[in-house]
Amino acid sequence: MTNSIPEIRDTDLMFVIGSNTTEAHPIIAMEMKRAVRRGARLIVADPRAIWLSEIADLHLQLKPGTDVALLLAMSHVIIAEDLVDHAFIDTHTEDFGAVVEASRDATPQWAETITGVAADDIRTAARWYATTERAGIYYTLGITEHTHGTDNVYGLANLVLMTGHLGRHAAGMNPLRGQNNVQGANDAGASPVFYPGYQRVTDPEARARFEDAWGVSLPPEEGLNLNVMMKEMARGRIKGLYVVGEDLVLSEPNATEVERGLNQCEFVVLQDIFLNETARFADVILPAACFAEKDGVFTNSDRRVQRVRRAVSPPGEARADWEILCDLARAVGYPMPDYASPAEIYAEMAALSDKFSGISHARIDAEGGLQWPCPTPDHPGTPTLHGDGPIRGKGVFQAIAYRPSDELPDEDYPLLLSTGRTLYHYNAGTQTRRASGPMSKQRGNFIEMHRRDAKIRGLSDGDRVRVSSRRGEIEAIVWISPRMRRGCVWMPLHFPESPTNLLTNDAGDKITGTGEYKVCAVTLSPVEGPGLEAEAPAAC
Amino acid sequence: MSQSVRITVDGVEVQVEPGATVLTAATTAGIAVPTLCHEARVDPMGSCRMCLVEIEGQRRLQPSCAFPASDGMVVHTDSGRVRRHRRVLLSMYLADHELDEDGLPKERGTGNRLRQHVLEHGTGPTLPPIAADRSYREDDNPYVHFDPEACILCNLCVRYCDEVEAVSAITLANRGSHTTIATADQRSLLDTSCELCGGCIAVCPTGAMTERPALGLDWRREEKIRTTCNFCGVGCQLDLHVADDRIVRITSPEPGRTVNDGNLCVKGRFAYEFVHHDDRLTTPLIRGGDGELRPASWPEALAAAAAGLLGVKERHGADALGFVSSSRCTGEENYLVQKLARAAFGTNNCHQCAAT
Repeated sequence: MTNSIPEIRDTDLMFVIGSNTTEAHPIIAMEMKRAVRRGARLIVADPRAIWLSEIADLHLQLKPGTDVALLLAMSHVIIAEDLVDHAFIDTHTEDFGAVVEASRDATPQWAETITGVAADDIRTAARWYATTERAGIYYTLGITEHTHGTDNVYGLANLVLMTGHLGRHAAGMNPLRGQNNVQGANDAGASPVFYPGYQRVTDPEARARFEDAWGVSLPPEEGLNLNVMMKEMARGRIKGLYVVGEDLVLSEPNATEVERGLNQCEFVVLQDIFLNETARFADVILPAACFAEKDGVFTNSDRRVQRVRRAVSPPGEARADWEILCDLARAVGYPMPDYASPAEIYAEMAALSDKFSGISHARIDAEGGLQWPCPTPDHPGTPTLHGDGPIRGKGVFQAIAYRPSDELPDEDYPLLLSTGRTLYHYNAGTQTRRASGPMSKQRGNFIEMHRRDAKIRGLSDGDRVRVSSRRGEIEAIVWISPRMRRGCVWMPLHFPESPTNLLTNDAGDKITGTGEYKVCAVTLSPVEGPGLEAEAPAAC
Repeated sequence: MSQSVRITVDGVEVQVEPGATVLTAATTAGIAVPTLCHEARVDPMGSCRMCLVEIEGQRRLQPSCAFPASDGMVVHTDSGRVRRHRRVLLSMYLADHELDEDGLPKERGTGNRLRQHVLEHGTGPTLPPIAADRSYREDDNPYVHFDPEACILCNLCVRYCDEVEAVSAITLANRGSHTTIATADQRSLLDTSCELCGGCIAVCPTGAMTERPALGLDWRREEKIRTTCNFCGVGCQLDLHVADDRIVRITSPEPGRTVNDGNLCVKGRFAYEFVHHDDRLTTPLIRGGDGELRPASWPEALAAAAAGLLGVKERHGADALGFVSSSRCTGEENYLVQKLARAAFGTNNCHQCAAT
């Protein structure tokens, strides 16, 4: 997020796109509800009539995968009606002409034929967004989990830059991070292209810095991202895998291919708190401590580095991941320093990156969470990024063009499936499926669909149905819901006995490799036997 | 533009923003006024009458939580009249409340502010107990327990549910002394729009709303440890309440201090059962020649992991290894995974689910 979560309460307009905030980020949604109560405008762009759309001033119920067309048309309106911030564009950006060119033909009427959103609504959204001073964009995986995810993000960034909604209180470009420490994991260099603090592995100067600190020579080429790693596994080029705290089988798209790859691996080590689906392929399993049993930091969506503290003992012989990692490094002959606590590990990382060099456990303990960049011990942290224009040089506009998703519905697979998370469960479900409240609200997998799509297939609420794509098939319970567009269905990913990612498409975005979880084609067939009424989700 | 308002509270002159309440002015002056139904995140209601103060020029005592401060106003929060009012009010609350053997309001959950007020301000005449039927429905939800005998009808839970969580699952029901907190048709919370966020528990001043899993526990024995939630990316701060090396309750730090402003969701507040679950991995496991996993010691398991990974590196090169780190783990641990991949094994094949 360029801005901070508490700023949301001061905003005058929220453009929420590809984020079912009340379910995936309930506490940020509370800030949004507070802003709406105060009188802020809310524009929601989502294929489903999600909870937020009920309190929105405008709901753009676009077809899944057509975000680029919508965003181009909004740019078109803002440029055509001269609602751009010329001063900001002149001072802080480059290549505005490229976007003018790219959106020249993207009229709202054209976008209406692609997105299904009325041209007038697109115009209204564009005008409101461009003419409101404190206007923030909030998005999450509905934007990124597409083969054109990077283009979606560029499209949003173009809107932000052309209207100057950057470096301003309660505005900005705000991706809401899906997991407790996605931000922190990236910050710490768990990336094939970056060392800690976003220093490129291909930059000789950065490499020299880390070679010097770690006392070894380091590989100069970029590594493989997770999506490619999974595919290279199936092709036999990745032969050994060390997996910490992720259920690859349940979390990665096209699970059949992931399983095939894991089967071909010569050696797999898994380090986790529970046995998960991936454990079937592991040669060695190391029991880890959970968040309540160890010390360290998590970094949240608004770049806030906060403490995690040990409250209880790990069960049995389970140990904190950092202790296991140090011992394993020593077992393979690398002299990992004898850290007394995670505070010392953090200090080593902070010393190697300007962004965090002012942050330490001692400071967080004394002052509470600190938002990076925080270069010195007396720096207060940075709630709002780009306070004096873009952080490094100028913001570069990116020309984008609409192209359809990788796999669209056809005669054989006539329904468009999107996937996501619900309020009550979390990812692979290892934690929430062991919690009584979430389980009494949602017991099993379901498929949310429009009543007419159900009716023409002879399906009723609570029926059991087989869902098939080109990659696999699973069973789920039908939930007829007024939130759906006709022709579109939606499923959560939380249920190991009915793994939705058997269906999803592993075609990845060209730059990030992120799989297209939000669009694939499926077909339904009825299943004999009783539908479980108890498994139908409560209306939410 | 806006001029600040000067007001005198118990002889202390303070300046507050226009529109600020008398209670805010008193707090600014460093004077504590007892409250029950007041909560910064919801609109004032002035229903509990606990915060009544004397304002010069006003015939009656006024609720300081709802009364706007105005220029030149003179307020007394501890006059004889105010003290007399508090004692009579607390007597009335006692007559309608379940008491313990000491004649004080019973304690539930994480304390009872009514009890504190009685101890601090005393009571007036003993009034005959009010016996009204407020029998609560049986509710099979696993998290939120409501005891009508401890409820003072301040309506804070209902207002939080309406204004902050905005799901409006609960409401005031019935009339007169039968009034209580209920759901539509007395349904279980599981069959309403309730999202089990537990905000009703967090705002309840008397413990009438409590965490069902923590019923009967002595909150004085709980140690609180501040940490960060392990679910989504909001970074809510949590206080883990620990007794006998187990998490027994989770609460939020007080509003206004952290990014979550006193709020939590169903997962953050309640979904900690996994921590102490029997399914947790408690010992290293190695897959034997028969394909079965068997328990192993740490030295055995670490040696097996090291040998297996080094074997792949020797046979196929370092880039035949992949390291999948975890955005669920700490920053320090992610730092160590990439250091392990790069420095110990010599590959940049290190990533985590941030790609998805």
